Amino acid sequence: MSLEIRAAVARATRTVIPLWPLSSFIAVNPLGAHESEDFAMAAATRSRGAFLADYETGRITDTDLVAAVLHRVPELADAGDVAIGDRVWPAAELVAIELVHTDHHGRPPSSTPEPDLVDELVSKWIAAYLDPHPLWEMPDREHGLWAAWTALARYDPHLPGAARKLLRNLPRTADEGLAQALAKLSVEESKTEMVLQEAAKRSPGWVAHIKWRADHVGDIDLTSYLAICITLRWALGLPLPQSATQPTSESATAWERAATLIPTLSEDPGSSETVARVARILALHPPQLHVFAWQTAYEEHYRRQLVTAVSPADTRASNPSVQVVMCIDPRSEGMRRHLEADPEIETYGFAGFFGVPIRFASYQARGTIDALPALITARHSVTEVPNDLRQARRHTTALRVRDAFAAGMHAGETAPAAPFALAETLGWFFGATALLRTLWPGSTHAIGRFHRRTTPAITTDVTIAAAFSLGERAALAETGMRMMGLDRFAPLIILAGHGSTSTNNMYQSALDCGACGGNPGAANARAAAAIFNDPPVRRILADRGLPIPETTFFVAAEHNTVSDRVEILDPHLLPESHALTVKEFLEAQRTAADLLVTERSRHLPGATRHGKVRHSPARLRQRAHDWAEVYPELGLVGNAAMIIGPREMTRGVNLERRVFLHSYRPECDPDGSALETIMTAPLVVAQWINHQYYFSTVDQNRWGAGTKTIHNAIGSIGVLSGHTGDLQRGLPLQSVAVGDRDLHEPMRLSVLIQAPLDRIGTIVSRNQVLRHLFDNNWITLTARNDQHSLWYRYGTYGWIPDPHPGENSQDNNEQGA
Amino acid sequence: MEPLTKMTRIEIVVPGRDAPPVRELITSAGATGYTAVSGVSGIGHHGPHSGALLFNEYDTLTMLITVLPPEKAPTLIGAVRQLLEDGPGVMFVADTYVSRPEYFA
Repeated sequence: MSLEIRAAVARATRTVIPLWPLSSFIAVNPLGAHESEDFAMAAATRSRGAFLADYETGRITDTDLVAAVLHRVPELADAGDVAIGDRVWPAAELVAIELVHTDHHGRPPSSTPEPDLVDELVSKWIAAYLDPHPLWEMPDREHGLWAAWTALARYDPHLPGAARKLLRNLPRTADEGLAQALAKLSVEESKTEMVLQEAAKRSPGWVAHIKWRADHVGDIDLTSYLAICITLRWALGLPLPQSATQPTSESATAWERAATLIPTLSEDPGSSETVARVARILALHPPQLHVFAWQTAYEEHYRRQLVTAVSPADTRASNPSVQVVMCIDPRSEGMRRHLEADPEIETYGFAGFFGVPIRFASYQARGTIDALPALITARHSVTEVPNDLRQARRHTTALRVRDAFAAGMHAGETAPAAPFALAETLGWFFGATALLRTLWPGSTHAIGRFHRRTTPAITTDVTIAAAFSLGERAALAETGMRMMGLDRFAPLIILAGHGSTSTNNMYQSALDCGACGGNPGAANARAAAAIFNDPPVRRILADRGLPIPETTFFVAAEHNTVSDRVEILDPHLLPESHALTVKEFLEAQRTAADLLVTERSRHLPGATRHGKVRHSPARLRQRAHDWAEVYPELGLVGNAAMIIGPREMTRGVNLERRVFLHSYRPECDPDGSALETIMTAPLVVAQWINHQYYFSTVDQNRWGAGTKTIHNAIGSIGVLSGHTGDLQRGLPLQSVAVGDRDLHEPMRLSVLIQAPLDRIGTIVSRNQVLRHLFDNNWITLTARNDQHSLWYRYGTYGWIPDPHPGENSQDNNEQGA
Repeated sequence: MEPLTKMTRIEIVVPGRDAPPVRELITSAGATGYTAVSGVSGIGHHGPHSGALLFNEYDTLTMLITVLPPEKAPTLIGAVRQLLEDGPGVMFVADTYVSRPEYFA
């Protein structure tokens, strides 16, 4: 019975996507388990009203609607024309105009169950178990959640006496407990899975996090969680959670739709033959697809503009003196564009972990970070060793003194009764500090700077040779070069990871590098630079036909996405011969940073007045240190596309920080394996991020975390909205909107690739994850063989030529007006 | 030569993202261990699978192999069968022989 119960739990929670802790926020597609289904069957969009408003403003045009319905139902192209009144309507235009004039989408809004006493109690116990107070840990915690809960539940004052009595003699294991509770509630074996599924749906945030934690930490499992939920229902005499019956609205028949549509297009009601013909055409596009046709049209408008923008053929600049490799993160696009104003600088896009997946422990750290994409497991541990032991000793001593002070303060805050004494003695000091931080946010930054200056500096090297064999290091370097198409070498190559700085922001890691597991990218950049500078690695690369000139030096750096400053890491490794080039680069970077901060500020809430930027770059950067600031930066807001190809496609084009840019040159990738790696890893991560933003925007209540202003932290695990309830998942309101105005345009990722179409097709066909994403319309794919070829769109029947924007002549709203 | 001892070998191929509950069932069934092979390639009901991907273990297939005494096997077989019902994944069960039975008991 025990294993059957566990199998039932696993089946009931199969579609739950794990939720990473906030300390290493990983953007995920919350509906990732449904990627084997069509997007239109599994997902949701904005309301039809929101799309109609966009239609009125021209954000969606008739051309977009026609393209959308043709993409979904290619048969419409050959479905003929119909004469209605004095106009002949091609089938696709008729289907498109129906979207504007009538509402048949017929999908009821989904609802989420209201929390009850069991949900609140379980949330309280799970929070106490996963985030134990250091002095008040639950008894028997070391034996797992079920043991810890059964030891205390009988004393829970929130439970009535009768319920507490029932909880006195519970089975020893969670499996037995769940089986007993199901039996007491007379749940038939055939209904067990459904009951467990409905119980899991009541707190999707906790369930998703427990699923992550069971696999990564192992101190909790979903069987224990569900055993508590069902046992409490039995003890309290509450009904079992039921499958919510969604109200179904009857869809109109094709005939009724035709009869409704024709009068909106002509005063002549039309003959019965005309109505029948219109009905046959409309039947090709059933009502449940209507709102998704709007969504596709909304995206089509942007995609066409993007394809037009990247189309012009551009030649490659002459040999640069600096090459900068930045993360594919859309925020890097702005920095790359401004840096390239200097013709001596060439930029590349590559996944921000630079192809070096590591578990990293900094010299003085207590723990480690998994600085790698969530798609893989950490297998190589890297740390750093100081170059000068005396220097390191002084550094450590200074940190220990500061740590001891912080620990003393923390003990004063948490030990019983001590907070009262602390408030009496030091309360005035903290009050003054709080006032200072509030009125002069820059003071936080100044204090931090003071700490850094008074802490003896330390120089370290990353232990890359201990983590990877020479063969592995050479393989990583070769893979990186082939993936980003690095076929020429400037004297200075900067590998710039990225991280974000903000104060009092529980979602800070959501602003760090997704490819580095929600961590800043400095460690990976340092590790990658060490590998590329390694002479034995270079010798192997030369033997493989990838020689790196001796005069080329790789430097690690980190791009701060709030200040847009780039900091050079490990400056002690920089050879004298390259010092001047680095200095010149930093000067160019400072100019680029100011321009980019000002550019970004046009979208930052509160930074503009009457459309004009009212804050200086310095004031805008101060947002990083303001503990009341809920918009330190806008992260990846607006992300909508990914371009895989050489930089010549996009150099000089303002992509408005909306595009993931991965460099790629087919000629550097003879067997296509680099493209396969890009499509199965960076593209998948970009898609996760894109869908996290998409769903957090279309339904904040269901897939978003709500407003930051009422969040309460559960350690570093996550947040609750208020003091109880479910663990919040997804992005907070302030990541996607200002009040009720969306900052993010929820669009599925438009992927553009410049590579041989047969190579792309082969990669898609042999990878199920890509087949699901492209065939089931979770993202779109447009590609061309090379810079001089036509674009092709991947659709239901394979590649079809993508009509050049403007080819369809009705790019206006005349039909709908 | 000491005779070999008869055991039951169970091989399960599932998407990498679905492997954790299978591993949990194997350990809960009393198996003393298992072997996991990620990046399994082949062709099945859901089309071709390219095998090992450089930076993605989550979306590839994983094969889990365990060996346990015949008397413990039916429970695990039943639970895995239940888990794989209507979902992606296959299970192969075969008799096998081991030289050190205490490793698997």
